[in-house]
Amino acid sequence: MTDFKSEVIAAGGEGIAACYQCGTCSGGCPTVSAMDFTPRQIIRMVNLGMRDRVLSSKTIWLCASCYQCQVRCPREVKITEVMAALKSMAMKEGYNSSIAKPRAASFYRNFNEIVANLGRQFEPLLLLKTTLGSRESITSKLGYLLKNAPFGITLMKKGKLPFKPEKISGSEEVRKIFENVAKMEAGE
Amino acid sequence: MSYAYYPGCSLEATAKEYDISFRSVFTALGLEFEELEDWSCCGASAAHATSKLLSVALPARDLAKAEAQGKDVVAPCPACYQNLKQAREYVLESEENREKLSKALEGTGLEVKGEVKVRHPLDVLVNDLGLEALAEKVVEPLEGLRVVPYYGCYITRPPGKESFDDVENPTSMDKIIQALGATVLPFTRKTRCCGGPVMMSNEATMHKLSYEIIKEAKEAGAQAIIVACPMCHMTLDAKQPEIEKHYGEELDIPVLYITQLIGLALGLDPYAELGLDKNIVSTEKIVQKYSKKMVKAKA
Repeated sequence: MTDFKSEVIAAGGEGIAACYQCGTCSGGCPTVSAMDFTPRQIIRMVNLGMRDRVLSSKTIWLCASCYQCQVRCPREVKITEVMAALKSMAMKEGYNSSIAKPRAASFYRNFNEIVANLGRQFEPLLLLKTTLGSRESITSKLGYLLKNAPFGITLMKKGKLPFKPEKISGSEEVRKIFENVAKMEAGE
Repeated sequence: MSYAYYPGCSLEATAKEYDISFRSVFTALGLEFEELEDWSCCGASAAHATSKLLSVALPARDLAKAEAQGKDVVAPCPACYQNLKQAREYVLESEENREKLSKALEGTGLEVKGEVKVRHPLDVLVNDLGLEALAEKVVEPLEGLRVVPYYGCYITRPPGKESFDDVENPTSMDKIIQALGATVLPFTRKTRCCGGPVMMSNEATMHKLSYEIIKEAKEAGAQAIIVACPMCHMTLDAKQPEIEKHYGEELDIPVLYITQLIGLALGLDPYAELGLDKNIVSTEKIVQKYSKKMVKAKA
């Protein structure tokens, strides 16, 4: 296995070594107040090879991919791409911080699964599968679903939630793309 | 010139009124479009968090379809717009990327050359149609209506070679609103994230970010927030009752899609053609004041 920093660079984090720790990223980050490490700290930690603490951090799941940090970075570090690469690594390696709200990983996994099957997203199923498939307690899952039930009904009354999923005719092509990419990534 | 319309998954469901009003407004303005046949999901944030290659390979299928028709794609959802745009940039960037992508598309018979552009409706309205042509079509000027334009993230970020607006202070929506006769109020949170992407994993953060946007809009004296993103609309409009409860404060500010606002000024039917009855926070006050069609229907 190569070192952590090189892996992150290969996964889209080229340029992280140029970071001079100015903190512009953290200053503009909309979700920084809920993070355990600021974006600036995460970049430093990646550069220092701190795999475990980075991949189990709350921060990577709180990144909303808004690109504010990336467009302002004076060193042109692709911070949002780094965060996406870290999420991907954490999911592959089974990191699951208890404070990091496992629902985030479940959301991405189930989102992909539904698209691979139908060719498109189907929002009601995504909400259900994300909640049921996350690693939180059953009480927490049911609580979340119950809390969101009235919201679902409101949307349904407005005709904004379709009742049944529709498969596109080219859904096999979409599945094939998922399979090809998975094979290519495994081979790398 | 005709566009390939890419609605994306949200416009088929929770953002139905964006789809309805987009179709009506483009038709009324004489902008020709046809829905991209059998389009598939762009991959949104999930593909991006899975792998860079997946995030360009999924929208590549849609780009290939649009290329076969030789039409530029118009994508109203900024997340779709951004993913499709980045797939095109990826293809154009290098031979190595093109090889990787064609390997990812192997067995599908699809091929992408990056020949068609990816456009956002704001770009088409300002740069293809033009503000003067838009103003000429206004039949019911929205005089006296004070609003703030909220752009969110993906309309301008990350910028690319074909970006159409400023990354720190976008103005395309401001100009459109002014062409309709309404007043744009100064607004510092134009491009501050609403928290949509962490809605399911960290509700409290989403509540806080959206609350701050709504609060600033109200303090500025806005009668509505105007958006062009289904995710922003979800947090600011559909989740507004939840945010009110969370903060114990009445907010009650309607959130309209830019296409709904344009449609009102063009004199289109507020409900059948603009879906203004589908917004969660009532749009009735604005409809009653500015839609003659609605007044006639009532009489």
